[in-house]
Amino acid sequence: MIVFSVDRIHPTSRVRQWFALTAFVSMALIAFNATAKDDIPRIKGKPDFSGIWQTTSAANYDLEPHSNRKDAPPGPGIVEGNVIPYLPKALEQKKKNFENRASADPATKGWTLGTPRGIYYPEPFQLLQRAQDLTVLFQFGHSVRTIHTNGTQHPEDPNDWWLGDSRGHWEGDTLVVDVRHFNDKTWLDGAGNFHSDALHVVERWKFLDKNTIEYKATLEDPQVFSRPFDISVILHRHREKNFQLIEDYRFTLDYDQYYPPKPDSK
Amino acid sequence: MNQLKLSLKSAVYILLGGLSLLALSSMAEEKKASAPPPQTNGGIDQESSFPKIASGKWSGAFLADGQPDVQGFWSNTIANHNNFTDPQGGIPGSGRAPKTKREQRAPSRVSDPANGEVPFQTWALEKVKEFQAHFHDPVEQQWVEPLARCAPGGIPKSFYWHGYEIRQYPNYVLFYFNSGTRLIHLDKKPHLPDNIKLWNGDSRGHWEGNTLVVDVGNHNGKALFGRTGEFISENGHIQERFIFSPDGKRYNYEAVLTDPTVYTRPFTVTIPARRWTEKDQPNGWHFEVGQAKHAGKQVILESEERICAENNAAFGMGASTQ
Repeated sequence: MIVFSVDRIHPTSRVRQWFALTAFVSMALIAFNATAKDDIPRIKGKPDFSGIWQTTSAANYDLEPHSNRKDAPPGPGIVEGNVIPYLPKALEQKKKNFENRASADPATKGWTLGTPRGIYYPEPFQLLQRAQDLTVLFQFGHSVRTIHTNGTQHPEDPNDWWLGDSRGHWEGDTLVVDVRHFNDKTWLDGAGNFHSDALHVVERWKFLDKNTIEYKATLEDPQVFSRPFDISVILHRHREKNFQLIEDYRFTLDYDQYYPPKPDSK
Repeated sequence: MNQLKLSLKSAVYILLGGLSLLALSSMAEEKKASAPPPQTNGGIDQESSFPKIASGKWSGAFLADGQPDVQGFWSNTIANHNNFTDPQGGIPGSGRAPKTKREQRAPSRVSDPANGEVPFQTWALEKVKEFQAHFHDPVEQQWVEPLARCAPGGIPKSFYWHGYEIRQYPNYVLFYFNSGTRLIHLDKKPHLPDNIKLWNGDSRGHWEGNTLVVDVGNHNGKALFGRTGEFISENGHIQERFIFSPDGKRYNYEAVLTDPTVYTRPFTVTIPARRWTEKDQPNGWHFEVGQAKHAGKQVILESEERICAENNAAFGMGASTQ
């Protein structure tokens, strides 16, 4: 076994050694910083949004800023600029919707929430991710939305869908989803904000940290709005022990009582 | 060491031999399955008999998390929910008698007991007969098939109500049915508290070789088994085995249903299923998929959105408003 003493090393070697050590420490620090900054789960290099998510915002009660009312807590709104730019006729319809919301809101009937409402409705939804797609499974109605991320395009002459047709692509670590081909049966919230079947939504999903997603969407509908507008909510990961979705087929409640058959004496 | 080498060599021979036997038996199964079935229902009946599939090792592809890869489009092979115990026999009371003899049609989905009947307690059998008598004239609420009101198909009906897609993820198997969605949890979480009752129950599963074994608790018992009205109650328990064939082209669903408040004994339901691929012709019942638009030449199949929330009427009413 040979042991070298420091003074036996040539001065030039000592400088080299110092550089090497500095380089190693710098690389280690860079690597550590990168790990700390990029502490998000990934699938094949892309952010992995798998998990159960929910907003804490009051967006579902009204996208616009609103005071409290009997059927809603107050909220600062999630619309950029605060006001949804309705066309005059559509604004009249929105006001009617608000007056009739107790019975006219599709959510009160248990119908599918639509896009984007399903994302900020106050119930959890689960994202299940593969390289080729993300499946959005909503607790409310247990409905399934597929976001295709395999380079496919919107179909040419499709039906209208409750949740729209979703085609996504990655811009860096942001998932950008183009959603088209909606029906006009869903509302944007419980305050009567609505859209037509010409709705076009562009979503941007991005991790703020591994347990928080920033969700932004641009909504465009020339039949209802005078210009596109933006909304934004924060989604939090459910981390409670054994947390899971509990299927919520709300629309069956009116007839649940008739099944299953029971013995006549009961 | 030499002994070990020898025994390893023998093991390899035995394994190879076993694999060839498996391959042979699967070929035999395919041959048997490809015998032309009597077509009685316009493409919904696919075959009148089907091969048994043994539980054992999985020889197909695995996913990164170690699950057998069974993703894709599937559908049962012996007709639909018209009739639970005589799957190709049509709806009783429809006035349209089956064109074939019973022995020419697929067997009852009840594979045990041998008589093919659900071992109902007397009161429960009376309820089933009442339902059948009123199916076409449901003047009381309980005689409306809940599926006609958009309720989830439930267990086991979802497995013969249209085709469906299986998607897999670490810790989950997702069944994307035509009506209702089931997420099988593979992560050993406990079942939900017992007072929570669900249309599709709460499913906990694990893989044993080629077999997905699932325990279903928290079942609300509200989904009927078909237009013939058979049922389980909220006190029921369901244990399922999805047994996939070595070539990944078929699986048999075998479930034991237990409910001491409705049945006189546990019984077994067997439902054969096969995989549908881009090589198959479109089928309005079993294979309702579209081809994705994209720049490449590869055929990419897609499920369409499946949402039913508006029907609230008897059989036939829903169809007429679609």
